[in-house]
Parts: sequence; structure tokens; C-alpha cells
Amino acid sequence: MGWWPFGSSSGTEDPTPPTRHERQKCWESRDAYFACLDGVGVIKAGTEGKACSTENSAYEKTCAQSWITYFNERRKLAFQQKDMLAQANAQNAQANAKR
Amino acid sequence: MISRRALQSFPGLRRVPAELKCRRTCLTYLGTRRPYSSAGGSGGYRDKNAVGVFTPKSAALFVVSGIGLLFYFRHAKAKVIEQQEKDRASKAYGRPSVGGPFSLSTHTGAPYTEQDLLGKWSLVYFGFTNCPDICPAELDKMGEALEAAEKEHGKIFNPVFVSVDPARDSPARIAVYLKDFHSAFTGLVGSFQAVKSMCKAYRVYFSTPPNAKPEDDYLVDHSIFVYFMDPEGKFVEAFGQTVTIEEMLQKVRDEIAAWKEETGKTV
Repeated sequence: MGWWPFGSSSGTEDPTPPTRHERQKCWESRDAYFACLDGVGVIKAGTEGKACSTENSAYEKTCAQSWITYFNERRKLAFQQKDMLAQANAQNAQANAKR
Repeated sequence: MISRRALQSFPGLRRVPAELKCRRTCLTYLGTRRPYSSAGGSGGYRDKNAVGVFTPKSAALFVVSGIGLLFYFRHAKAKVIEQQEKDRASKAYGRPSVGGPFSLSTHTGAPYTEQDLLGKWSLVYFGFTNCPDICPAELDKMGEALEAAEKEHGKIFNPVFVSVDPARDSPARIAVYLKDFHSAFTGLVGSFQAVKSMCKAYRVYFSTPPNAKPEDDYLVDHSIFVYFMDPEGKFVEAFGQTVTIEEMLQKVRDEIAAWKEETGKTV
């Protein structure tokens, strides 16, 4: 039962918003999972097989599904951006070397 | 129609008939006396007068006064432009039309409208309680800036958190959420329509589905700005995510100083 007395009686929902402590826990487990993914060289979460299953289960336990989707997507985008930047820099370097 | 006698009974109007008469005759009357008039005098008389007017002295005077006027006007124009530049720098010309009437309720259930923003400097942030990381970070930043600003200027600020997730964020839920942040925060929420219309007035984009259910697990995409509003409830500045606390404090300082200069008060 949450702190919110007006919740619907379905019982499946958690009417309390995430607290600072819960957010902190979620971020920590996310960072641990992503560090593990970095270790095995995987960018897209979920494609690592069984490599980070301990970290992944902690991650899924402490974070809401919508947050997990969001963090995973952001990780992918961050890598894509890094790739693009690296490519652009390499091209610039090439162009400068030719000059 | 005013009779001539009636006109003459007013001393100030007594000359009117004479002038009316003049209008008909004065042209020729003056013409006979004008030195350049072809109607009057012989050719010799005219030449003598022409030479009399265009002496080297008068030509010099003409040129000198012309140059003088030119410089004077240039100087005056430069001064006007300078003043305009000054005004433009200090005053918010073309202030964006952000803000306006709204009607929501606070996290304690009290009604809250744009009238409640008056008399204090407001910091308004739009977010939602299920926000993974950006909203809490921004609210923490606001709290820190607020703490510092209150130390500097006194308790003349009003931090507001507006939920863009009315389906899940009840006043009670927002009340719980705000316990993690600065105690001065007022949380606001209302019906989907009420929230939407406030967001429209504040140029805030958000993407909660209108039929979202409280038990759904979803995120709300929304614009991330801290709006800084003056004690008249008018928009001053939107602080983006990359703006530092120091930059916020500087802007607050400048605005309050300008306000004090204008009104003699800090709020």
C-alpha cells in the first residue's frame, strides 16, 4: 500500500513516486550493468547473451521498465554520436593531412 | 453662419476680414515690392538688388551656417542612435510572450493561478514525478540556486514545479515527490486540458498521451527549461539544462538590480 490514499483498488500500481533513494539505487545498478557491457564490448543492451546476467537482473529489479528502455536507448545513441564524432574528426584529420 | 458684425464684436477676430481680403490681393501687393518680382521695377533695379543679396559675405555665411547645421544634425543623430542602443541593451525589447493565465491546484489541494505568481520572483519548472534523471537533476539545481539567491536577496522567490503528467501525478503524489527537494517548492497539477493550456502559454512541449492510465509505465517527453518570471508574472528568462547555477544567479542579480532601479523595490 502506498502513501496515496486515493489510489485505484487494482492493487497493481504503486502510487508513490520514485524517491531519491530509489533513483540512486537504479542509477547505480544501471552503471554497473553498463560497465559490464563495456567490459564485454556490447553496445546494445540485451544482445550480450548471458555475460552480464547478475548485473542485468539487479538493473531490472531496481529500475522501472520505462526507465530501462530509456537508459538503453540513450546508451545506444551516445555510442552512435561518439562514432559520428570520431568519423568526422578522422575525416577532418585526413582533409588537413592532404592540404 | 457668423455675421461680420458678430465677428467684429470679438477684438481678437477683428482682423479676420482684413486678412481675408488680403488673401485675395496680397500676392500682387507683395509682388510689387519683391525685388525679384518680374512685375515690379526696371531691370537695373532688379540686378542691383540681386547683387546686393549675393555678396561674398552672405555666400560665406550661407556655407558656414550650412556646414554648422550639417554637423549639428549629425551630432544630434548620433546622440539619438546612442540613446536607442542604450535602451535596447538595458530593456527587454520584444520580450517573448511566454506565460499567461492558468488555473491548477497545488500539491496540498489549494487552487493556484497566475495571480499567485505575483509579488515574488518565480522559478517555474515543468516535469513529472516518474522522470528518470533529468527532472530530479534540474530540480536539485533549482533548489541550490534558490538557496544561494535567498541568501543574497532574501526570501523573495517562489519555486514552482508543474507536472506535465496529470494522469499519474495527483497532488498527493507530487507532495511525496517534492519531499526530496527544496521545501519551498509548490507543486502544480490539474486536468489534462488545464495542464495543456498552461504548457501552451509557456511554450512547453510535452507528450503525455491524453488517455494514459495511472498504472501505466511510461515516460513523458517534455521541454526542459526553468522559467524565470518577474514579480508582475512576466517572463524574464528561460534557463536551459546547460545553464550553470552561477549563470542563473548572475541573471537573477542583474534583473533584481534593474527592477530596483525602476521601482525602488526588490519585488
